[in-house]
Amino acid sequence: MDHDEFQTTLAAHALTALDAGEAREVESHAESCIDCRKEADTWQEITAQLALTSPPVEPSLQTRARLMESIRSTSAEERSVDEKSRNELRSKANVVELSASQKKHGSFVQTWAIAACLLFIGLIISLLVLWQQNRAKRQELARLTTQFQATEQQLIHERDAIGILTRPGARLAQLSGTKVAPSASAILAYDQTGRAILLAKGLPPAPAGKAYQLWFIAGGQPLPGRVFSPGNSGEGTLDDQIPAAAVKASVFAITLEPSSGTQAPTGAIYLTSGS
Amino acid sequence: MIKPTLQPETAKPSDLELLQAIANRDEYALGSLYDRYRLILFGLLMRILSNREEAEDVLQEVFLQVWRRAKDFDELRGRPFTWLVTLTRSRGIDRLRLLGARQRLAVAASADEAEEVSDAVKDTFLSEQRRIVTRALAELSEDQRRTLMLAYFDGLTQSEIAGQLDIPLGTVKTRMRLGIIKLRELLHEQLENFG
Repeated sequence: MDHDEFQTTLAAHALTALDAGEAREVESHAESCIDCRKEADTWQEITAQLALTSPPVEPSLQTRARLMESIRSTSAEERSVDEKSRNELRSKANVVELSASQKKHGSFVQTWAIAACLLFIGLIISLLVLWQQNRAKRQELARLTTQFQATEQQLIHERDAIGILTRPGARLAQLSGTKVAPSASAILAYDQTGRAILLAKGLPPAPAGKAYQLWFIAGGQPLPGRVFSPGNSGEGTLDDQIPAAAVKASVFAITLEPSSGTQAPTGAIYLTSGS
Repeated sequence: MIKPTLQPETAKPSDLELLQAIANRDEYALGSLYDRYRLILFGLLMRILSNREEAEDVLQEVFLQVWRRAKDFDELRGRPFTWLVTLTRSRGIDRLRLLGARQRLAVAASADEAEEVSDAVKDTFLSEQRRIVTRALAELSEDQRRTLMLAYFDGLTQSEIAGQLDIPLGTVKTRMRLGIIKLRELLHEQLENFG
């Protein structure tokens, strides 16, 4: 695409009406071309006006209340973290001040001996306290990191699912929970190449040594997919490749299997898409 | 003829000032921004999703994102209103795609009626902008208008629009380009006044 062609596609890009490949090309070009970036910003201003053609509608009062509650919770957590950091700095400063003030009293040798002992004891206690706090923080950090990675992975899969659904020929299958998991549900987005993204929720935690496995049913035969384990929230995502023999099939199922997966289903069916 | 005043005359904080306050963790400022634009943004989401519950969920997500990303807003790239609308539409289209075609049909079948907003709203400067944009859209041909609406409110790409209307892709591209260029010409003067 030459520069003039980029200019003519910027309006369509502002409407998010370009196919994925074209959109990426335009965005990549705009990163290095100031003229096109300014033009793109102008088109955003124009297209945003289309929102005004929707009739204004009042949301419920609860929406505002829920939003402000979420904001307050977030702010309280941020303030709590800041306060803890300030307290830690203060406690370190107090230890230094205590040692400095003790040096002023008693005879020169005794004062130094007492000061040295107190300093030593104070340092030991501080080290113990800091070590305990540090361990707790590391554990919390590890927990949050794991949680963050799981959330990040889920977001990546959700974004990929949206990307798949925008391709021509993309399909979407809905899976419903069986009697063993009536509140579970899932959607499977897949394209003509067989690239598939599964988004599941409401699944009970998998017992130790077990995991949920995706199956593709082709000609009445189950073909194995990958395994996954849902988080504590019961949500799980999976990035898989449908075997060529099953791409045209539209029946899928999820069973509970050994964590390494199996070649044929052995466990209970938790989700199925039906025929 | 007196040009309509498109900015409120009272000393309310500007959108940019509200965003800067939000970046400094002012919860009250976020509430003010929500109150200022909730009708337009929720109306946009209802137009896209046709479901009140989903639209309220997305509206909440949008303003949570405003809270997290207010510090990243660059006033040199555009107006706060444009940023809010772009964010809202993007989230709305994402939710529309995630719901999937089958679920969308079920949702549309039980679509919530958009309630008429009170007359008080019609006196705001946003109402004046809305009248201007609606008049400008009416100047486009039906084909051009439909193409823009399918892209903007239904999140369809040019290829998908061609498939849905059963017309060549080139025709869709031409209609979209001519329609949006004409819209720009009609709104250009107004945009300079919107500030």
